Amino acid sequence: MTDPAADIILTTENLVKIYPGSDKPAVAGLTLNINRGTIYGLLGPNGAGKTTTISILCTLLQPSSGTATILGHDVARQAGAVRRKIGLVPQDIALYGSLTARENLRYFARMLKVSGTMIEDRVAECLQLVELQDCADQRVSTYSGGMKRRANLAVGILHQPDILFLDEPTVGIDAQSRNLILERLVELNRSGVTLVYTTHYMDEAQQICDEVAIVDGGKMIACGNPSRLVHDSVSCENLEELFLQLTGKQLRDRME
Amino acid sequence: MLLLANIKKELLLLSRDRLSLLVLFVMPMVLVLILSLIQDDIFRATGGAPTTALFVNLDAGDSGAELRRNLQSNGALTLVEDRAGEAFDVKSARQAVFSGDYQFAIIIPAAFTTEINQAAKESVQAALSHEDPSRRSSQITIVFDPAVRGVYRSAVLNALQLGVLGLELSRKSSAFEQLLPDELHRSMTEQMGSVFPVGMLPELPQISFDWTGQQLITLDEELASPEKYATLPTSVQQNVPAWTLFGMFFIVIPLAGTLIREREEGTLTRLMTMPVTNSSLLLGKVSAHLLICMIQFGLMLMVGKFLLPLFGTPVLELGSSPFALMLVAVSAALAACGYGILVGVVARSYDQAAIFGSVSIVIAAALGGVMVPIYVMPRFMQTLSIISPLGWGLDAFLDIFVRGGHLTTVLPRVAALGGFFLLCMIVAMVIFQRWRRGN
Repeated sequence: MTDPAADIILTTENLVKIYPGSDKPAVAGLTLNINRGTIYGLLGPNGAGKTTTISILCTLLQPSSGTATILGHDVARQAGAVRRKIGLVPQDIALYGSLTARENLRYFARMLKVSGTMIEDRVAECLQLVELQDCADQRVSTYSGGMKRRANLAVGILHQPDILFLDEPTVGIDAQSRNLILERLVELNRSGVTLVYTTHYMDEAQQICDEVAIVDGGKMIACGNPSRLVHDSVSCENLEELFLQLTGKQLRDRME
Repeated sequence: MLLLANIKKELLLLSRDRLSLLVLFVMPMVLVLILSLIQDDIFRATGGAPTTALFVNLDAGDSGAELRRNLQSNGALTLVEDRAGEAFDVKSARQAVFSGDYQFAIIIPAAFTTEINQAAKESVQAALSHEDPSRRSSQITIVFDPAVRGVYRSAVLNALQLGVLGLELSRKSSAFEQLLPDELHRSMTEQMGSVFPVGMLPELPQISFDWTGQQLITLDEELASPEKYATLPTSVQQNVPAWTLFGMFFIVIPLAGTLIREREEGTLTRLMTMPVTNSSLLLGKVSAHLLICMIQFGLMLMVGKFLLPLFGTPVLELGSSPFALMLVAVSAALAACGYGILVGVVARSYDQAAIFGSVSIVIAAALGGVMVPIYVMPRFMQTLSIISPLGWGLDAFLDIFVRGGHLTTVLPRVAALGGFFLLCMIVAMVIFQRWRRGN
């Protein structure tokens, strides 16, 4: 019999983040347990605390209280060890527009400490995975929105991370690019990469996620397999209806 | 109506970035203040604040003291004779000028009074006897810093000439007063014998007025350099290093810009999730921009060496210590890059960095003597000028280009520039680390 704890790759316990000058927590006691090899969707309306949670898990923010560990390493105290295990595909197109995709990937591969002899192979593999090999030597600034998103994804997987965080990776792109990205994410997951994923597209989450957590006001309000959550609900036919039922239809405008 | 709407929108956008507006208003005000103050003395009709010069009076008589009074009373020079109660001698005065502490030293020889009195007497005698004027004169030595620009050297020499002229007139008048009665008596005796009728006018002695133009005192200009220069330092020797340094410091704007753009575009956030240290991120930027600065430096030297002479200027001479020159260039470039990193981590937008960076460099250049030499600034601005890294760099460059300095001469300023770089980097690292930890 295997120890269930051994399969947990990421855990948070009573995670709290209060930004300086704010009296309301962005994350208010969030507890998560994410198993290795899953696609985990972190869903919530604007201002729910999704990006803050991912920022803490990616060592970009210090939690105000609570703990978060990835592969047994505390994200606050062992940030260096955590950074070697994680990949991030941020919401912004975090690439150098005046460099080509290949030059961007080579640079980030070095920053990710990919072995020197492996860099060219990994760059070629990642470019092929996101189907940018034919325009790899063009400047990123000349790319379409979908191509930029795919290049953004390629950088996140260069070093074959154990866990990949994706913050709305399909926002604002055409159906073809979106479909390709989702297919590649599933492929990556099959190769053993755990994915933690935020999106506002509920159909997307229902399509690819093994498990979702719906958060609102920094707290978890539902968690589980998306199909099962829909099935167990009273009157919802899909995840979007369940999401609106749980979080309400009130607009969630927020100030940055 | 469309125009009004566009104007309103632009004003609203401007008013939203209050820090940029503050920088936009405050920095030019500081610039105007600083530039007006440092140039105040140059443009003042009265000649403004006097130039300070060392005065070493070895004269045993009273002429040296009289010259000092003349110079002080015409208001163009402030004479300093001691440091902390210890009188300057010829050696210490030369050293003080060589090291750049003072720009001029006036040295009055020991036999000054005797020599000019004798010269005056011989000159008047020659005038009365229709002989050639005497060639005898006394020599005052003026030691000056090779870094002093020609126009200021001329101003000091003119002031000194004025003082010397007064002294010469006084000495020639005295000699004339003494010699004229004797000469009258001799002339009358020659023409009329020992007794001549009362009321009879004798023929007065004929006087040759060539004596009035004869110099009793000559001024000998001397450069304060261990190995005397055959020629005076040219404007190219003085201007090329000054403006090269000014240009090098403008690396601040692109360097700060890369940091700000990375922050705005999200690449910095991405890098912060990677196993890469702050120092490797920042030092990578410093190293690349240091290389750019050095290429820029090389190009500027080539302009001085090859391009300017095509327009009729003298050729830039690179001094006698290439290693010291490279060391100063590298330390100045490092100081510029360190400042660029600091501006990049402190500024919130590219606009802020561009305005603050460029205006602060112009202010530092003005304070550091790039535009107007420090020694002609008002006293309190001279005191303020010691905070300018451009001033340290310029002084070190001038040590090499015009003072014949070597490695040991420039080391203190190289250390100051290196210290400034380290200070900027430490402060930037602290701020950068706070970002990285999400504070």
